[in-house]
Amino acid sequence: MYGMIHRGVRSMVQDKLGEDAWFALEQKVGIGPTELLTGMVYDDTLTIAIISEAAARLNLTIHECLFEFGRYWIEYASRGSLASAMDLTGHDLVSFISNLDRLHLSVGMAMPGSRLPNFNVVLSEPGFLKVEYHSQRTGLEDFVSGLFQGLIQRFGLIGEVAIADSTAGKVVFEIRYKDDHA
Amino acid sequence: MLVQLTDAQLGKLFPAYLLLDKTFRLAGSGPSIRKLLPGLQIGHAFDDYFDVISNDVATVCDIQERPDHPIEIASKCGNLRLHGLVAQQPDGYFLALRHVATSQYLASQQLELTDFGYADPEIQAIMLIAVQRAMLEEAQDTALELAFERQRYSALLERTSRVSGYLAHDFNNLLSIISLNTERLARVPSADGKIANLTQIIGDTAARGSEISQSLMALSHQSSETLSALSIDDIITENSAFLKTVVGSKVGLSITLHSGSSKAVVSYNGLLNCVINLLINAREAMPDGGHISVATTVRDGLATKTDDGPESSPCNYIAIEIADTGSGMNEALLSRAFEPLFSSKPNGTGLGLASVREYAVEMGGDVWLESKPGEGTRVFLHFPIALDAMMCPDDPSFEDTSFDALQNERSILLVEDEPYALEALAEMLEMEGYFVTPCLSAAQALEALAKRSYRLLLSDIVMPQQDGAELASKACIAQPGIRVILMSGYVPETAALQPGWMFMRKPLASSELLGLIDKLM
Repeated sequence: MYGMIHRGVRSMVQDKLGEDAWFALEQKVGIGPTELLTGMVYDDTLTIAIISEAAARLNLTIHECLFEFGRYWIEYASRGSLASAMDLTGHDLVSFISNLDRLHLSVGMAMPGSRLPNFNVVLSEPGFLKVEYHSQRTGLEDFVSGLFQGLIQRFGLIGEVAIADSTAGKVVFEIRYKDDHA
Repeated sequence: MLVQLTDAQLGKLFPAYLLLDKTFRLAGSGPSIRKLLPGLQIGHAFDDYFDVISNDVATVCDIQERPDHPIEIASKCGNLRLHGLVAQQPDGYFLALRHVATSQYLASQQLELTDFGYADPEIQAIMLIAVQRAMLEEAQDTALELAFERQRYSALLERTSRVSGYLAHDFNNLLSIISLNTERLARVPSADGKIANLTQIIGDTAARGSEISQSLMALSHQSSETLSALSIDDIITENSAFLKTVVGSKVGLSITLHSGSSKAVVSYNGLLNCVINLLINAREAMPDGGHISVATTVRDGLATKTDDGPESSPCNYIAIEIADTGSGMNEALLSRAFEPLFSSKPNGTGLGLASVREYAVEMGGDVWLESKPGEGTRVFLHFPIALDAMMCPDDPSFEDTSFDALQNERSILLVEDEPYALEALAEMLEMEGYFVTPCLSAAQALEALAKRSYRLLLSDIVMPQQDGAELASKACIAQPGIRVILMSGYVPETAALQPGWMFMRKPLASSELLGLIDKLM
């Protein structure tokens, strides 16, 4: 995965456990600033090793950590350098998820060689969304669930995300939400 | 070919479209227009909501005259700006519009991707720029992090180097005590072969320990070279074959040595490195071949080029002159020749001449160049003669009448804060016929200096309260004729060694130390 993701994990660990925890993680995994280069593609095994170590330190399972990181990523990207791209992608949950592929189109152009997923909103009803997720990668469903959860929070909603179906290369997510302020 | 699209499909392609009837009343609009201008009503006149601001189409009525023409419009409220094409329909006009895509406009209107057609290249470019800006920002952060990391690494290396230095000092002190006392033990007559064997084992082990301390010294960037009075002619003669190899087969080398037995306080390898560096420079100034001459002489006067330095008083000095028949240098090049990291050669490091100057100055000498384009270059490398640097005429006021002349000639003020090393050194020197005053601190030594004169100060450098270099400076002021040999397992940066002082690295080799003292006394 891209170094941008590694930087996100670092930010999460630093926010939750402090800078020393990240230094300790770097020591354990044997990484340093050269594994945090934004536009550099790293082997997925390295990314998983970093997340596994973060999970151990956060006292979470890897699945829980992936979910937590997905949720955190939305918050991290919203306040960081990707904020303007995030703003442009959508101002509500449905628009944002519907436009994810368009966002990824630009990300793919900026980061050649990236293997980005596809999101397809197959059903949109008030308070409910059914989204198909396609990816060449496997094992990141919890991360995607966390991303949707992060988006629910980003738009001031409350709700939950569930995996309705999972087959080879395709996972169907069901998102139930309501406006906390409505 | 006629393509039929549903309103939803049309809205995805042109989210900001407008549909007008033949009387220019609104007949429909895209989802972006409906979202951003919720008050817009079907059947109302186009002019009620929009102004045409295109230079080419003065009013909306002109659309009738020139369909398929570019148009730009602005909303009367909401400050929307749209541009696109007008397509004439059987029952009116289709305005295929899109938002003016500037980042300022995008931000002010709270637009999102859905407000732009899926294949709109402008919004794709804007998104791409947004992502690239994000990457650039992160890249800048990363660059700062890497710079910080490098700084941290340098600081760590510096700390490691300092710790290594301290370790080397303590280790070398202990080794020195072991070696000196092992030699004492070896000097004790014994019929027991086992004791001799054990002494040998301890001595050998201490020597192996010395190798470990060399590694620590390397880590602390300390040179382990002894500074002593050496004949420069001897060094050049011993290495003449190698120096010929350095200049290569296309360049002739002549060596004329006239400094004879005169000696300068230098380190053997340090001096040799200087000569090699200068020969390499001369060789590279003559890619097509030429000649280099190396000459030494003894002169008196200023050993330095100018008389503004602290070491610039007249004295006898050894002058090494290296001249080549190369292309020479112009004034501009000459003025920067000793600048660190400056090189006129494509692959030059710019360290050669700079290191020669650093070394020459450290030894109390100097180096400079004379050159003109087309006339070759001459390098002058000067070192004060050892006895000149070390010895001034003895001050008769310090004559102590209680010592006879011989005792005075062989008097040594020995300073070492390690009692076991002090005891061993004192015994060894006394066995060689020297008159030794042992002191455990600089303070004790200064008291001894106040009472009588000494021929030689032999002192450790790293000591509590006052270090050996500071003591030596005071001793030279109090007794200008005193010779100085400093010894240490580690020379801290704060210890300023003066040119002309000799230096021996611990652990001490007795024979080398005695040889050095013998030459001085």
